[in-house]
Amino acid sequence: MKKKSMIGWMSLLVAVTMLTLPVQSLAGKVYKLGLSLAITGPTSDAGNPYSKGVEDYFNFVNDTKILGDDKIECTIRDDQYNNDVTKRNFEDFISQGIVFYLNYSTGSTLALKKDFEEEKMAVIPASFHAGNLIDSHYIFLPIASYSTQAIGLGEYIVKNHKGGTPKVAMFIHPSAFGRGPVEDLQKAVAAGLKMEIVEVVEHGKDLDNTAMLQRLLSKGVQYVISQTVQSPVATMLKDASGLGLVAKSFGEAGKITFLGCHYTGGNDLIALAGASAENFYWTTSYIVTNEPSPGATAQLELAKKYNRDEKAANSHNYTNGMMVAQVATEVIKRAKAAGKEITKVTLYEELQAMNGDKAFSPGTTVGPVTYSKTDHTGVDTLQLYVVGGGVFKSVGTPFIPVFAEKIK
Amino acid sequence: MNYFFQLVISGIVVGSIYALSGLGFVLIYKSSRVLNIAHGQIIAAGAFITYALTVWVDIPIYISFPMSMVLTFFLAMSVERVFLRRLIGEPIISVIMVTIGLMSILDGLIYLTPFGSENFSFPPFLPTTPISVAGVSVSWTQMVGVVITFTLIGAFSWFFKKSTVGISMRAVSDDQMASMSIGISVPRVFGLAWATAGLSAAAAGGIIGNITGLNFETLHAFGIIVFPVVILGGLDSILGAVVAGIIMGLVQQFASGYLDGNWGLSGTGEVMPYIILLVILLFKPHGLFGIHEIERV
Repeated sequence: MKKKSMIGWMSLLVAVTMLTLPVQSLAGKVYKLGLSLAITGPTSDAGNPYSKGVEDYFNFVNDTKILGDDKIECTIRDDQYNNDVTKRNFEDFISQGIVFYLNYSTGSTLALKKDFEEEKMAVIPASFHAGNLIDSHYIFLPIASYSTQAIGLGEYIVKNHKGGTPKVAMFIHPSAFGRGPVEDLQKAVAAGLKMEIVEVVEHGKDLDNTAMLQRLLSKGVQYVISQTVQSPVATMLKDASGLGLVAKSFGEAGKITFLGCHYTGGNDLIALAGASAENFYWTTSYIVTNEPSPGATAQLELAKKYNRDEKAANSHNYTNGMMVAQVATEVIKRAKAAGKEITKVTLYEELQAMNGDKAFSPGTTVGPVTYSKTDHTGVDTLQLYVVGGGVFKSVGTPFIPVFAEKIK
Repeated sequence: MNYFFQLVISGIVVGSIYALSGLGFVLIYKSSRVLNIAHGQIIAAGAFITYALTVWVDIPIYISFPMSMVLTFFLAMSVERVFLRRLIGEPIISVIMVTIGLMSILDGLIYLTPFGSENFSFPPFLPTTPISVAGVSVSWTQMVGVVITFTLIGAFSWFFKKSTVGISMRAVSDDQMASMSIGISVPRVFGLAWATAGLSAAAAGGIIGNITGLNFETLHAFGIIVFPVVILGGLDSILGAVVAGIIMGLVQQFASGYLDGNWGLSGTGEVMPYIILLVILLFKPHGLFGIHEIERV
């Protein structure tokens, strides 16, 4: 009796195994990715919509079967802008077997540079600090660095300034993130960019910028290039606007034209500064959603599909997150199409092969994403925007700063 | 010369806002000897409540501002009742550790709301053209901020010196056991101290939020920024907070105004207040107006 029962159970087990095997092979593979960023804590106003962009795009990839039966499983963890937590998250992701990593801040990207090298893991951070690329083989900037952005703004000033040599001040965050472009802009000036950097102001938690603005004006400063986050720029713009110092047209004599790099602008600046943000010039490599484009439509539809509110849907940080997820998906797609196994090595190879006729146009940027063995900057093209009527509007066409290449 | 006077006016304006922000520290310390590390979060909460009432509930700001002060009064009182009441009589370090925990809890609660990771600004309600006299300018927001600051500081000074409740609070601060022996309710005094600190924090939050826009990180950082102010003034002195606030504001403006941009210096406005603080504390370890207690054994 016992023997009969045993044979019965064994047969059932074999039958179940036979039935489930084909189902398992049909289910496809799962590619593990990791993202550690500040969803709460400092800079979470950028990190929160960024994480939503990443999450929504990967959900979209899985839901619409962009990778066929294969799926992307991206674990997103909040590090509260704390480098120690980022490191712990990264180590945990490695133990889980990730094939691609998305990082966030300048500080943590610089701090974990050696870990990325040791693990030979391709990384795209949300930081565009040029220093990320020094002594690194595995970090890839999604768009033009802050240095290139500042140089681009400098070139626009020189091109459109009327009169003698334009006098420029820089208003920067007191950190590696803020200081990064200063030296490079000075190098561009030394290399022939005809402008004078009169002063570099490192801001604090200022409640009043009146004296600073008056000092800059007394030194003949007509342009202020900001490399920081929105809040200090908003306070400065409010003070400048109250004092009637904001140029109504670019380079207006006796007034100051305010300009800024990627993280100074976007809808968050308008939310903080209100009407004082009018006539603020901003550069980034991303599109804006208030101007019709296929990328803007795709972004808004994605946000709608996953029930995001208006603020997140129109945030340039959502665009940023969506774009890095697009790049990660694209390299997986290309490696699959080439019949390669999806590993950190093959994805790294595919990323470095993303150039020439293999350049990638995600639609969310103003130019194509190109990487190579010697170029780890994704989108080289920049677009200038200006606030008018409470929204950012394009000024001219996308451009590539000439002096960024000259100072390399 | 105009530039000099501009720095003086800006220093006084910024300093008086520091004084108001630091007042909450002083009010709690004065009556309970507790340093409230979560003060910045209460400042931020006050600003967000004002915004929510003004924009979401559509109440005019001149009503929503005092309303948020009242609401934060009760919020802070509840915080004291829930988290700190049972720590009366426990070592001060335990109470301070609880305020650190409280800071994390308030952080977490604010991150659950849109204010945690989004930016907002108050709708304009004051003229945007600044008040200018002989080339020296001050914005209406700052001017109103200064008036509110000095009104509140005057009111609190009167309260502690003249009112029965205020004198009870000072008595508790001086000696809890002796106060209880004459019938003063120590728990009630602690609750009131936290409540009045909440009220002043909401006022500070509303003013700072109007100047900088509403960003959680910026707002709660003021809880830490004003720390040197209250240390310099003396942790238990309202007058000290005012004087130290203005000293810090002036030092910051003069450092930024005359040092930054020269000799390759930058960001001196952030450093100089701490240097001044260290120098003064060398000579006055309890701060400018702090009470030096001598215990006889």
